[in-house]
Amino acid sequence: MSVSRLVTIGLFLTGAALLGALELASRREGSRIPPLGELAGLVLRYRSGRLPVGRIAMYGFWWWLGWHFFAR
Amino acid sequence: MEPPSQITANAVAPWSRPVFLVPVFGLVSVVGGLFPSFSLEANLYVLAIGGVMTWLGLSGRLPRRPESRRLGAGAAWWLVPALLLALVELVSAIYDSTPAHPTISLLLDPILDLYLARAIAYFLWLGAFWSLVRR
Repeated sequence: MSVSRLVTIGLFLTGAALLGALELASRREGSRIPPLGELAGLVLRYRSGRLPVGRIAMYGFWWWLGWHFFAR
Repeated sequence: MEPPSQITANAVAPWSRPVFLVPVFGLVSVVGGLFPSFSLEANLYVLAIGGVMTWLGLSGRLPRRPESRRLGAGAAWWLVPALLLALVELVSAIYDSTPAHPTISLLLDPILDLYLARAIAYFLWLGAFWSLVRR
């Protein structure tokens, strides 16, 4: 296994571990860090006039992610 | 523990409760795991699931979870893992996603070829999609 591959995998795992650590930290009493779900809620509520831009973007991204990993 | 309010109790449709949804999502995942990548079935299946979820989310047919609080500066912490993952993914993509510089897709593809892992991933994807629909 090449060094660059090891570094790349290590960085991906670090990012994933940070996501988990932040989610755990956000659930502590009095935490100033919001849970990821609340952050997603903020994006989902974003509208441009009557158009729910945030919802279209988030659903579109998540739909695409499923297609990318399960179908393409 | 306080009893649920009348509004909450009336607003939640029986079919949207976990006791019904978890088995349904489980069944959908068990079936979805059967379809290999690049197959017509896999494309149509994801298209149908995403279509239903997006329709449910945009139509406003389901009650949404209330906003719990205003986001403060602490939200910026989420940028750290997001930017790290995005940067590594971008660099790997620039290197054409080779074994020496793999993207997340290249790393996950062999895992998602396994039926059980694929079905579990389907379940997680569906659960997260549902969470977005309800917010």
